[in-house]
Amino acid sequence: MTASQIPLLEVEGLTKSFFGVRAVSEVGFGISAGRLLGVVGENGAGKSTLMNMLGGVVPPDAGTMVVSGRPYAPRRPKDAKEAGIAFIHQELNLFTNLSIAENLFIDAYPRLGGLPFIHRADLRRRAKRALGAIGLNVPVTTRVEALAPGERQLVEIAKAVNAEARLIIFDEPTTSLTHRETERLFTLLETLKGEGTAIIYISHILADVLRLADEVMVLRDGALVERGPRPTFDTRRLISLMVGRDLAQLYPPPAAPQDAAVEPVLETEGLTQPGTIQDISFRLHRGETLGVFGLMGSGRSELARILFGLDRYRTGRLTLRGQPVDHLTPQEAIARGVAFVTENRREEGLLMDASITENMSLVTLHEDARGSLGVIQQRDLEGRVACLGGELRLKAPDYAHPVRTLSGGNQQKVVLGKWLAAKPDVLIIDEPTRGIDVGAKYEVYNLVRELAARGTGVLFISSELEELIGMCDRLLVMQNGEIVGEFGSPFDREAILAAAFREAV
Amino acid sequence: MRSVNPTDAPNRTGGLATLGRRLVVSEYFVILLAALLFVVLWPIVPRIASPQNLANLASNVWPLLAIAVGQTLVLIVAGIDLSQIAVVALTSVVGGAVMTQAANPVLFEQTPLWGVLLSEGGGILSGSPLAVPVALVVMLGVGALIGLFNGSLIAFARVPPFIMTLVSLSFFSSFAVFLTRAENISNLPSAFTVLGQGEILPFVSFAALVSLSLALSIGFLLSRTVFGRWVYAVGQNPRAATISGVPRARVVVAVYTLSALCATVGGVLYSARLGLGRPGFGQGFDLLLDVIGATVIGGTSLFGGQGKILWTVFGVILFVLLTNALNLLNLSYFTVNIVKGSFILAAALLDVARRRLLVTM
Amino acid sequence: MRETNRRGILRDRFVLGVLRSSPFILFALLLLTFGLLSPRFLQPSTLLLILNQASYIGILAVGMTLVLLTAGIDLSVGSIMYLAATVAGLLLQRDLPIAAALAACLATGALYGAVNAFFITRFNVIPFVVTLATLIAGRGLGLAITRSEGLTLPNSLFTLSSLRPFGVPIAVYVFAGVVLLATLFLQLTPLGRHIYAIGNDPDAAEKAGLNRKRTIVAVYVVSGVCAALAAFVSISQLGIVNPSFGEGEELDAVAAAVLGGTSLFGGVGSVFPGTVLGTLLIQMVQSGLVFARVDIFIQPLVQALVILVAVLIDSARNGLLARLRRRTIRKTVSVPGGD
Repeated sequence: MTASQIPLLEVEGLTKSFFGVRAVSEVGFGISAGRLLGVVGENGAGKSTLMNMLGGVVPPDAGTMVVSGRPYAPRRPKDAKEAGIAFIHQELNLFTNLSIAENLFIDAYPRLGGLPFIHRADLRRRAKRALGAIGLNVPVTTRVEALAPGERQLVEIAKAVNAEARLIIFDEPTTSLTHRETERLFTLLETLKGEGTAIIYISHILADVLRLADEVMVLRDGALVERGPRPTFDTRRLISLMVGRDLAQLYPPPAAPQDAAVEPVLETEGLTQPGTIQDISFRLHRGETLGVFGLMGSGRSELARILFGLDRYRTGRLTLRGQPVDHLTPQEAIARGVAFVTENRREEGLLMDASITENMSLVTLHEDARGSLGVIQQRDLEGRVACLGGELRLKAPDYAHPVRTLSGGNQQKVVLGKWLAAKPDVLIIDEPTRGIDVGAKYEVYNLVRELAARGTGVLFISSELEELIGMCDRLLVMQNGEIVGEFGSPFDREAILAAAFREAV
Repeated sequence: MRSVNPTDAPNRTGGLATLGRRLVVSEYFVILLAALLFVVLWPIVPRIASPQNLANLASNVWPLLAIAVGQTLVLIVAGIDLSQIAVVALTSVVGGAVMTQAANPVLFEQTPLWGVLLSEGGGILSGSPLAVPVALVVMLGVGALIGLFNGSLIAFARVPPFIMTLVSLSFFSSFAVFLTRAENISNLPSAFTVLGQGEILPFVSFAALVSLSLALSIGFLLSRTVFGRWVYAVGQNPRAATISGVPRARVVVAVYTLSALCATVGGVLYSARLGLGRPGFGQGFDLLLDVIGATVIGGTSLFGGQGKILWTVFGVILFVLLTNALNLLNLSYFTVNIVKGSFILAAALLDVARRRLLVTM
Repeated sequence: MRETNRRGILRDRFVLGVLRSSPFILFALLLLTFGLLSPRFLQPSTLLLILNQASYIGILAVGMTLVLLTAGIDLSVGSIMYLAATVAGLLLQRDLPIAAALAACLATGALYGAVNAFFITRFNVIPFVVTLATLIAGRGLGLAITRSEGLTLPNSLFTLSSLRPFGVPIAVYVFAGVVLLATLFLQLTPLGRHIYAIGNDPDAAEKAGLNRKRTIVAVYVVSGVCAALAAFVSISQLGIVNPSFGEGEELDAVAAAVLGGTSLFGGVGSVFPGTVLGTLLIQMVQSGLVFARVDIFIQPLVQALVILVAVLIDSARNGLLARLRRRTIRKTVSVPGGD
């Protein structure tokens, strides 16, 4: 019997509706042992629903699943586990207050004989073996909270391997990984494949999918639009299949070339906070888009927080719109024309249960308020938000709806909207397109361009180099809390990557 | 659970069910429930509608409402203020000590107040026309200080609100008891007691006026001003609020200060009604349970970000009516307790059901 | 520049070390202070007395710790104590054997805890509200049974409580037994570890296939049983069940657990040494003030202040820990891990 020819999992006519709306519509595919199937699609294309059906999280309305020739109808995640299917979610399911070993065996602790007690020595021994199998060299008694994101991901994989999963589903596994951790993950995927494990790999990063997959599957609006061996795809084709039309360009064209003598809106000199950033000096000019490239943990997000007054700095000088700043707070920063789109919009960007109007008006409440009591003129406020929403091409039936009900892309537009309302001179954006689909990405880029054209200086922080090259006038590279290089157009990819990875590898 | 099919043709029963749903989800549900309770009880205990009982009902509503309004603010920022009853007790004692017209040396000679604020002739301002206004200012000052203390440690030292106000509760209520060695201060001037007992017009008491104006102003502050929006924002997501330029710490301090001030107003009304400076307000938890119970029954969430003064008004009315009815039914203190407890639980269950309905609607 | 950074980090480390061992330091300081105020305080017999008095609140706090670990709270323990004590008292007055009374007492606690758990798990009402409601209702039920009268208990129970095997009061053995069992349960059984897991991330626990509801039920039942046992220990020392018995004890139990380092947000804390230390701290202050002949109206003030200091230290420690964790960027710094 040759394992690679018998499909490990076969799916046919899988369908699922929520409230009368089809999320997944008659999808069928198969995957064999030792193969990697890449799955791409915009947000809302049905990827998560499809995988949730495979993982036993939601039951399908129609369709059949067969695992190794036997019918498979999971009703709980546990059923999936027993069938040898492991699901590694985007948000990791680890208990940070417990040790690695405990996390690996949380639902199957080795017992001490027939007693209800945990066999600690056995637990450690087995955990050590499991970590060895995936090449993670950390004491098994380490608490998960002390691990880096990449190491946590490896622990999650160790869990799957340890449970003898024959099919592992990865949902956006690289979003919080450093470059080095990503490489390590990819090597591990190859090893797993070599051992006969089948892998389903979902990602927005098309380059990764094209690099790893044996076969690629494209979903759009809940339906399978294309499936085939990897060589039949390239990035451009994947995008047009996902979006359903040809995108002329990935990045909107820049506005007219910048005047070289424009004033700086943000200037730092020797900014230092021990432990996070060291000797940061740069200038951001009016109308300029300045990129900051760095790996996870290079200090780029920490720099952004300091520039916005969320964290302190010990030494150095910070100048906003030509005025020196001393002891910056977020309120002070906003008053001086700084806006900040954070990297995680759910935790730091939005009031998820508040309405679109409330979110978009939060920063500029005072502008629609009168008197020393600050009485809000609700009609003015709503008018302004509606106007902004139109500008953003926000797709929402009613601005009184909570933002929780919006798609990721529209949520990001709400975040941008509340800052647009403040007409900022400096816009700091940290990973603005993370987890949003291709169409929404383009719109976000457009907004950045428009702002720059109006004279806002944009500090664009990202871990996607392509995006920075497409959008920025200049690029700073950060590493270990310091600026290690500055690059101008035309950008030299090799040189930028070399700077970012120096010492880090 | 039956899945909802939007194409279901609305039929008679469906229409009724929808109406029922609308009612349960409506923000007037709690007051409707109170009205229903009243109507059902009327034939059973006709006394409930007697003018005397209505006046009694109202006089029980006002002080509780004042305190519950403050608690609502704190709950909206995802906090809790257990120290409110200590504020009631301490301000009652301090105010009493300032304005009382006579103090019995047998009772008070050993207290730390004797010779400082108190003497045989009463409080330090005994008999002065300024006694009542000064006492009120002192009471509000003491209340504000306690609120500032709670708020600052919660906002800046990041002490969890439950623990912080618990410690405050035990400290300040013990302090009130310590000041008078557990004795009540009596002989309060009539200019003060009229606040709790007097009426401006028939059925319009001073207490009603004070308490309703407080509820109205805080309600206005919450729903119509920038500060109000900030309070909700901090309750919903403190991190996002901070990044959007909301002065989180200042909002939190202000909210706890307002909460203590509301409790002070409640303290004024209770003390005036009893004509006593009473340290015992902070002992036992009946009052605290009433405050939190009434607020939660009104619909304000303990998780923060959700709540309205109007809801609290309804909650207080329902709660007071319930207690009153149980008393009129001649039920014992313990049965009252059992029913009150069940009511809080029922309100919570209803809240869960409402949320489910809202999701599927 | 680097040198000053290093010094700053060393200073932070030192401060953190001091803050981490703060319960111990506070304990030692208080012992010393009361010892100076009244030399009799440091005699072994006095310390045993403190342990004896601490045992019932300690047992209560152990149950509360378990509940707090799941990010819940049990405000009803004071009423559980009263109801369980009432049941035990009534049976003892009818001359039933002590063992039967104890069994009924514990069963009452378990049942009460199960009722709490039922509303929490079945209807998803938050524990604060459920236990607040049952706190009020439970007290009412107890008072309805006793008609608000005190129950005097037979002497046999008092004799039992004055047993001192090896010179140590029997209540201390019971306390030690509860602590040992709870520690074994939390550290060494799968269910114990699941409590930590659920307190850390309930959604992840659900996805990992842990039985969240069963664990929550277990925790509230255990809390009920602990409260009942605490009540039994306490009434055997007092010889009487007053109508106000158990009132306000829930706050002492929460305070003891939190002083011992248990978080109100779940997932963090321990019975030993944490809650034991917190309990002893509270009881020592109480007894110390009595020994130092401090005015009875000032005693609660001092107690509250000591708790405030402990709470502030705890907050300072958490704040510093969070700040140090954030400093993981630059390689010159190594991170102090969690404890």
